[in-house]
Amino acid sequence: MDWIGLLISYIFGFIVLNVLLLCMAYMTWFERRVLALMQHRVGPNRTGPFGLLQPIADAVKLLAKEDIVPANADRLVFLVAPLLSFMLAPLGALVIPFGDSLTLFGRTVHLYVTDINIAVLYFLALGSVGVYGIILGGYASGNRYSILGALRSTAQVISYELVLGLSLVGIFILTGSLSLVDILREQEQTLTLGPLQLPNWFILSQPLAFVLFLIAAVAETNRAPFDLPEAETELIAGYITEYSGFRFSFYFLAEYINMIVVSLMASTLFLGGIDGPFARGVWWLILKALIFLFFYVWLRATLPRFRYDQLMGLAWKVLLPLALLNIALTGLVRLWGLGLL
Amino acid sequence: MSIQVLVFYLLAIVSIGAAAGVVLARNPVHSAIALMVTFINVAAIYVMLRAEFLAVAQVIVYTGAILVLVVFVLMLVQQQDLPEFHGGRPLRIATGFVLGILLLAEVLAAILTRSLRGQPGPWTPDAVAAVGGNIQAIGRELYSAYTLPIQVTAIVLLMATIGAIFLARPETLAERIAAARRIFTISLGHPKGTDLGPIGELPAPSQAELKPASFTRPLILAKSADEFTEQPAWGEVVRR
Repeated sequence: MDWIGLLISYIFGFIVLNVLLLCMAYMTWFERRVLALMQHRVGPNRTGPFGLLQPIADAVKLLAKEDIVPANADRLVFLVAPLLSFMLAPLGALVIPFGDSLTLFGRTVHLYVTDINIAVLYFLALGSVGVYGIILGGYASGNRYSILGALRSTAQVISYELVLGLSLVGIFILTGSLSLVDILREQEQTLTLGPLQLPNWFILSQPLAFVLFLIAAVAETNRAPFDLPEAETELIAGYITEYSGFRFSFYFLAEYINMIVVSLMASTLFLGGIDGPFARGVWWLILKALIFLFFYVWLRATLPRFRYDQLMGLAWKVLLPLALLNIALTGLVRLWGLGLL
Repeated sequence: MSIQVLVFYLLAIVSIGAAAGVVLARNPVHSAIALMVTFINVAAIYVMLRAEFLAVAQVIVYTGAILVLVVFVLMLVQQQDLPEFHGGRPLRIATGFVLGILLLAEVLAAILTRSLRGQPGPWTPDAVAAVGGNIQAIGRELYSAYTLPIQVTAIVLLMATIGAIFLARPETLAERIAAARRIFTISLGHPKGTDLGPIGELPAPSQAELKPASFTRPLILAKSADEFTEQPAWGEVVRR
């Protein structure tokens, strides 16, 4: 039993989790500032320089609020549901490689918490179980608007989960593995497109899958323009209606952590992760993840919300056939070579 | 006691406890949550057996799809619509108990005497590692030796989907008229007025006010609501 290796993994996981929580808090700041600037206003700039202490102020405020549990609520499930969402959200970051392996004191230290050979499936499985935070939260509130909001949100999440998974099958065909370390290694190769020598990033060889993944990821994390279940004008606030204070912030922050983890996954799967022109390293991964996070906020500022039937119709009638088409095309190209992939 | 054995015992105890919770919980949604805990612990046991793909498939399919559907249905059913969970005739309870004990005895016998253990197949851990892992091994088996069962399963799932779509189809106008013809309207428009007693006598409706129902629905004039309903009308004083 490799106790030291296990200890190193635990320490690295601890560091990753804390950094993730810090990023989640400042993601709220980032979103509020960027959204405000896009809407031609300023956003929080009073608490601390540039409003940087705003997340702390928010946390203190939410912690100090009264804890209200509705009389109709199923008490145990009401208390557990937001915790479920919040606990499952950061687990996706456990499989992302944050750098190449180092050698410290004669041991190889991997800069990922774990390298399982089903890493991407694990990420999809977390999304599947994360649905329970929503559905149980809506049920436990004892409020029919909450149940309706939870049902809508659940149906949306399970539909887009399908698209998410299928869009990644093209990458599995090209790599022959589901491990993120293998996928990164595959993206280090060079792709020759005529006179150009490009890194074999999957955004170039799987553009359709990239677009599908992005759309499905925005819908999975219940973000605009797919945020009908939690919009203020719809069903009050959907499944979050009866939650106040810190329990509300569990859902809210779980959504931000989901966004960050999905951005990290997208950077690793499609943009080559830690790969970059001069020096490979975690800074490239952070830059790429920031691009995706900015894209998330940009979408929220720009697009109006989808209506629920449009949302479901998009998933089942447009994105799912396109994902299947992508799989078929990738399989064919792989089978017959064509000198491309 | 190595760490693997300890972890296995922990997972097994939680699985069995949650499974007991499924049966013993009063609230059906609590049963579903307990079932989710069971599934996830079983998935963890699969990981310990080095069947990682099976573990993830268990989580994605069982927990993430099937159980979500079950919770959907449970959420939409009100508590009072469900049949009685407690109670039932003593003979039924006794029979159930005896059958349960018999089943448990059979399973224990099979496990403890190891009489159901089969022969090890060709996929030893070395063979699995040689093709590159669990998923590759499963892929090779499924898509070469088990191609036909996969196609048959796909057809069965397609049949289920088509059946579901057919059952949920919207009604045509002809169906709605036929359904309307089968129901009738009960009117308390007795020529003498309603018999509400203490609330007061309402004036009797004139013949002109008793309009015929649409869709050629038959109209039945009743003297009191008791002939057709069990629940008292609003304001009705029930005299027993």
